[in-house]
Amino acid sequence: MTLVGVAVGAALAIVAVFIPWLPDAASEQADIIDSVYWVVTIICVVVFAVVAGVSAYAVYKFRAPPGDTDDGSPIHGHTGLEIVWTLIPTILVTGIAVYSGVALAQAEDLPDDHSVIQVTGQQFAWTFTYPDVEVEGDRPLTTGELVVPIDQTIRFEITSKDVIHSFWVPEWRMKQDAVNGITTHTTVTPTQLGTFPVVCTELCGLGHALMRSRARVLSQSDYEAWVEEQQRLAREGGAIQGMELFTQQCGSCHTLADAGTEGEVGPNLDEALQGADAEFIMESIVNPSAEIAEGFQDGVMPANYGEMYTDPQLESLVEYLQQATGGGAR
Amino acid sequence: MAVEAPEAREAEHLPPQPPPPRKGLRRLTGPGWLRVLWAIPVSWALATLLVIGTRAALGYEPLWELQVLIVAWTIIVPLAFLAALGGFDYWLYWISGRPTRPEDHSGHGARTWKDYFRVNTDHKVIGIQYVVTTVFFFVAAGLMAMFMRAELARPGMQYVDTNTFNGLFSVHASLMIFLFIIPAFAGLGNYVIPLMIGAPDMAFPRLNALSFWLLPIAGLIMISSYLVPDGGAFAAGWTNYVPLAVQQADGNLMFQMGVQWAGASSIMTALNFLVTIITMRAPGMSFWRMPLLVWANFATSTLVVLATPFVAGSQFFIMFDRVLHTNFFNPELGGDIVAYQHIFWFYSHPAVYIMMLPGFGIASEVISVFARKPIFGYRLMALSLMAILILGFSVWAHHMFVSGMQPWIRIPMMVTTLVIAVPTGIKVFSWLATLWEGRIHFKTPMLFASGFVSMFVIGGLSGIYLGSVPVDIHASDTYFVVAHIHYVLFGGSLFTIFAGIYYWFPKMTGRMYDERLGKIHFWLTFVGFNVTFFPMHWIGLQGMPRRVADYAPEFGNWNLVISIASFGLGASTILFLYNMIVSWRRGPIAPSNPWRGLTLEWQVSSPPPTFNFDEVPQVVGSPYEYGTRGARHAVLNGKPTETGKAAEPVEAIHS
Repeated sequence: MTLVGVAVGAALAIVAVFIPWLPDAASEQADIIDSVYWVVTIICVVVFAVVAGVSAYAVYKFRAPPGDTDDGSPIHGHTGLEIVWTLIPTILVTGIAVYSGVALAQAEDLPDDHSVIQVTGQQFAWTFTYPDVEVEGDRPLTTGELVVPIDQTIRFEITSKDVIHSFWVPEWRMKQDAVNGITTHTTVTPTQLGTFPVVCTELCGLGHALMRSRARVLSQSDYEAWVEEQQRLAREGGAIQGMELFTQQCGSCHTLADAGTEGEVGPNLDEALQGADAEFIMESIVNPSAEIAEGFQDGVMPANYGEMYTDPQLESLVEYLQQATGGGAR
Repeated sequence: MAVEAPEAREAEHLPPQPPPPRKGLRRLTGPGWLRVLWAIPVSWALATLLVIGTRAALGYEPLWELQVLIVAWTIIVPLAFLAALGGFDYWLYWISGRPTRPEDHSGHGARTWKDYFRVNTDHKVIGIQYVVTTVFFFVAAGLMAMFMRAELARPGMQYVDTNTFNGLFSVHASLMIFLFIIPAFAGLGNYVIPLMIGAPDMAFPRLNALSFWLLPIAGLIMISSYLVPDGGAFAAGWTNYVPLAVQQADGNLMFQMGVQWAGASSIMTALNFLVTIITMRAPGMSFWRMPLLVWANFATSTLVVLATPFVAGSQFFIMFDRVLHTNFFNPELGGDIVAYQHIFWFYSHPAVYIMMLPGFGIASEVISVFARKPIFGYRLMALSLMAILILGFSVWAHHMFVSGMQPWIRIPMMVTTLVIAVPTGIKVFSWLATLWEGRIHFKTPMLFASGFVSMFVIGGLSGIYLGSVPVDIHASDTYFVVAHIHYVLFGGSLFTIFAGIYYWFPKMTGRMYDERLGKIHFWLTFVGFNVTFFPMHWIGLQGMPRRVADYAPEFGNWNLVISIASFGLGASTILFLYNMIVSWRRGPIAPSNPWRGLTLEWQVSSPPPTFNFDEVPQVVGSPYEYGTRGARHAVLNGKPTETGKAAEPVEAIHS
């Protein structure tokens, strides 16, 4: 009995501990959440080992021989045992609850020197607004990819323009729904340089599966350089920035060979914009309802790109699209 | 698939014959499928005219507004169908002052397969109607899962577009939950509960018949949503979160309306169970002598009656927002999006227990009988069901830890959620202790019941992860959740439904199933299930969100493994269906008590006589006195009943 239990427990422990269940922990919050995860895992492995061990032993030991017509022992219960297996789980879950509560408070702790980034979900793209960074025309910097400095606590203010989305960077662990009409919050302190996926985890319609972006964590100096570059680009525009904007913001829904995107929610732009002039492309971006490509629905594409981006940004996007689809001179 | 019991037994209990069939044109007005045949097009036309006429009179454009028409159709046509089939005949006769046909029990029993397609008031016929219907929807929903796994086998889009995919998982979940798991338990309960408590039928047989016939309506509405032009099936998940549900194409209404019929069916059945269990127990059957399945159905029915109106309400609100342009969930005009989730989960979390507790009951019956031991800690087992019932209402917001609700609610909801592990743990430990020093016979029902215990433990433990707020912040809405719900609803509910179907198959059909095929079915299911769903824990934690038609390429290999395993899992169902159909037609005749059970349903013939018991049984002891020589659960006048530790060898039932 003991042997079976130990064997099952050891096998489980190997599965539980040696498989990298969680992705890299790239934020302070991730470390806290992972510690809860491992405490829960240890408790669960022990409980499962007990259950599996007892089951395996019972199956092996108490199997009736074929044709047997006898009954087992008339054991109706055992008060002591019943008290034990009521009390021990109670203690265990109380422990998990307390530990989780403390960890939650730590993970959501917000130091005074935090910075703020606004996250807006819409079908089917993320927009990140930096209220502290001004660009051309007294508006805050807005991007389709999230760029943050390392070791800086960021409070994300999250909302949605349409249906519910959910903002999640698996390596940061923190997740929060984006809900139209309210602003929700989450706190992240990135601790690892690198590029991580931004994933929408709440079903948001046709393009839900493709609503992915990325988060780049830069060193403080790289971050400052990036901010300056963004300010310059917002001033000057240019097709290079147009392409970047496209892959970040449009590619999850639209296929465009030049940018290597394969979205299928909206029309394939290699076809729909083939040879189109700048005016048509601009109209299609800022007022998508003006002309709906055959086989597609009105109201799927957000109608507010005109307000989200500066004129140089939009112009650079149009310039790029025109080049990529063979309209205009290259 | 006629159920042909041996002639001698049948003659003994032959019920009165129904009134002679109508002749000529009068056949068109009598209750039945002929009346249905003309009532459906007529009611459809009336509903259409009603909408178009009203819109024309009020000057609304356009006259043909599909949303409004769907609402009218899905209310009026089903009602006409029920009336035409004869579901309301008795009540309408009574209301209109015409002489009602006295209950001569002519509707009882099934003589041919055709009787299963009538409004039949016999709980045993209704039980079989339920089980067969729900298995049909199980297969339909399972096929949808197969399509999903085909699409997910490789990253990128291969076979369907994203809209179709979203429809597939939405309809899959809705059918599995509302048309399979919940009603399959209601069906098994329908057949078994009156027998177990020594009653001749359910308390309200006509209501019982009606609540069955609401089911196919709900299922057909949900499946036919694929036919809705411009957008097809509802595709906002079975949770149908707003604002997506309001924004979606017209097919979404088919979910809102389908749920109403399924919910009404559930509520009526639950009410029926409650009254039956409270008022119709045989003399001597105190609450503390009820089999645990009866306890489980009692708890489940209480949950259904209290909770189901909330899901009905939540879907009506969406329908109002869409059709009447109310603003319950429109934030621009003061609506509240998160409120929907509270209302929805106030039903849908208890619904998890609605889908779980009857399974607990079945597992208790099966494990006790096949381990040849009294259930360990009977009273605590019953009390823990009641504890789950009460706690089940206090945990709904654990589905909403990242939803943006008031942060403080998370902690109390976490505590109650984790505390539910205590009564659940009591049940698991008691099942294990029941095995201890038993003499275990691993027949197919027992394999599924013990498979259930181990799989459900995994589902319960992953529930601890999701109950802990910090871990849930990471894991919610990922494939970890998909793994968790399938360990609970497949490893939990479905395994016990299989256990129940195999266990009572001899009683229901009068024939034995093929034990060898049953065992192969179990092992294929058990292995296929684990290989399909266990890796989902991992890919979920690694960052794959749920409800996606496409995913990041790094998850490709695991998804391929999962898809291949799921096809094996799907194929195992063919074995089950083959076994059931062939055994029902040609299986060896079943003895009345093939498992040597003590509970009352095994003390009567298989299948039981039309009114279950020729005389009212007298309950004299606990239902689980295995191992005590001569101990009986009940005494049936003049007939031998099973006793504990049978001294003389029982008839050989082993293959």
